[in-house]
Amino acid sequence: MDFQFLQIAAQSGPMALAALVTIYIAAVSCFLGLVIGTLLLVCVNVKLWPVPGLIRLYSSYIRGTPALVQILVFYYALPPLIGLDIGPMTAGILAISFNSGAYVAEILRGGLSRITTGQLEAASALGMRRFLIWRKIILPQVYYSVIPLLVNEFTMVIKITPLLSTITIVELTRQSQYLITSTFRPVEVLTIAALIYFVICFSVSQFGELLQRRSRKYRM
Amino acid sequence: MEFDYLAIWNNRSLLAEGLATTLFISFVAIPLSIMFGALIALMRVSGNMFLRSFATAYVEIIRNTPFLIQIFMVFYALPFIGIRLSGLPTGVLCLAIYGAAYYSEIFRGGIESVPKGQFDACKALGLSYWFYMRRIIVPQLYKYVIPPGTNIALIMIKESSLLSMITVAELTYVAHDINGRTFSPVESFAAIALLYWLVSALFLAFADWLKSKTGREDGDELFIVR
Repeated sequence: MDFQFLQIAAQSGPMALAALVTIYIAAVSCFLGLVIGTLLLVCVNVKLWPVPGLIRLYSSYIRGTPALVQILVFYYALPPLIGLDIGPMTAGILAISFNSGAYVAEILRGGLSRITTGQLEAASALGMRRFLIWRKIILPQVYYSVIPLLVNEFTMVIKITPLLSTITIVELTRQSQYLITSTFRPVEVLTIAALIYFVICFSVSQFGELLQRRSRKYRM
Repeated sequence: MEFDYLAIWNNRSLLAEGLATTLFISFVAIPLSIMFGALIALMRVSGNMFLRSFATAYVEIIRNTPFLIQIFMVFYALPFIGIRLSGLPTGVLCLAIYGAAYYSEIFRGGIESVPKGQFDACKALGLSYWFYMRRIIVPQLYKYVIPPGTNIALIMIKESSLLSMITVAELTYVAHDINGRTFSPVESFAAIALLYWLVSALFLAFADWLKSKTGREDGDELFIVR
């Protein structure tokens, strides 16, 4: 058999654009995931009666069901339930954000456990309100200590985005499927797609590891 | 709005078959990937330059590309080199290859946590490689390996839902099927979400039992992979 990488590479312009769509989706979802994760972290620690239980339920749902099923639930099952017709893009980004949020909350919880209780006692002894303590003392330290893990979370989100191709979002995977049907060269097209994903994820995860090494060096 | 519970009840045998297929795929793929993973981990810590770089490349490629692309690659590319497999064997193979990369990282982490002096001592005593690996190094690994290992197994059960894209009739595929025939998206997708949730809960209970067997309670707080 003969490969035609050059001919296919010449036609892969739309794939580069679609890669930008993938990165865009991942960036938006990651940001929303960070917001959701922070809310979850704060709500769990504020101990208002039904809230921590509900959050545990939510977290167990996200960890216990596949991301694909969550995306399908968001896209197919939510619009009839709430009677609001959200498009595939909104549904997809929301599904990934809620998925990521649960994991970000876990990451932040790890960061929170490193903060000594003495700081909180000092802050409340100084008469700071709870909101102010969270905003000025807890959250900045939590975020700072988990930056490497959050960078890795971005690669995780990038690796979920191909699932959005099932709900008709034209990102890298769906664009390469289009190219496969028009050229009938699956091996070449998929290799190029895999290469693009690899370059994105590998550079981001190496960056994350660099940050992790550096933070370990400074902590000791 | 009204729910069409009959759509689920009438298709209960289909759902049961889908669940059985999902479980079957996982129970074949997980042991396979543990074996592959152990092999890759041994290659990664071996002295042979070629084996080591092969294993590193394998792990990095699998970990940095989406599983869906890997599935499509195997499903579409294998026929081009003359190997024709149907969906189910392809799916099991892909899942095993995918899980092996993550398992090998766990095993490597475990092996590297064993003090280097032990390896030197074994060599100084003249023990053969397989003997000291089997009798001295590996028994120390269980407590390191089991908490993250069960995590990866759960991830593999969940990732098996992606095999619906290459026409493997597992749970997600069945939901698409029911939705297509009865047009009941809420009921069908909610039903499979609940089934997956149930499977995960049972598996986590099993994982806790396994952890209590190895006697290490503090788990993998920061070991989060998907």
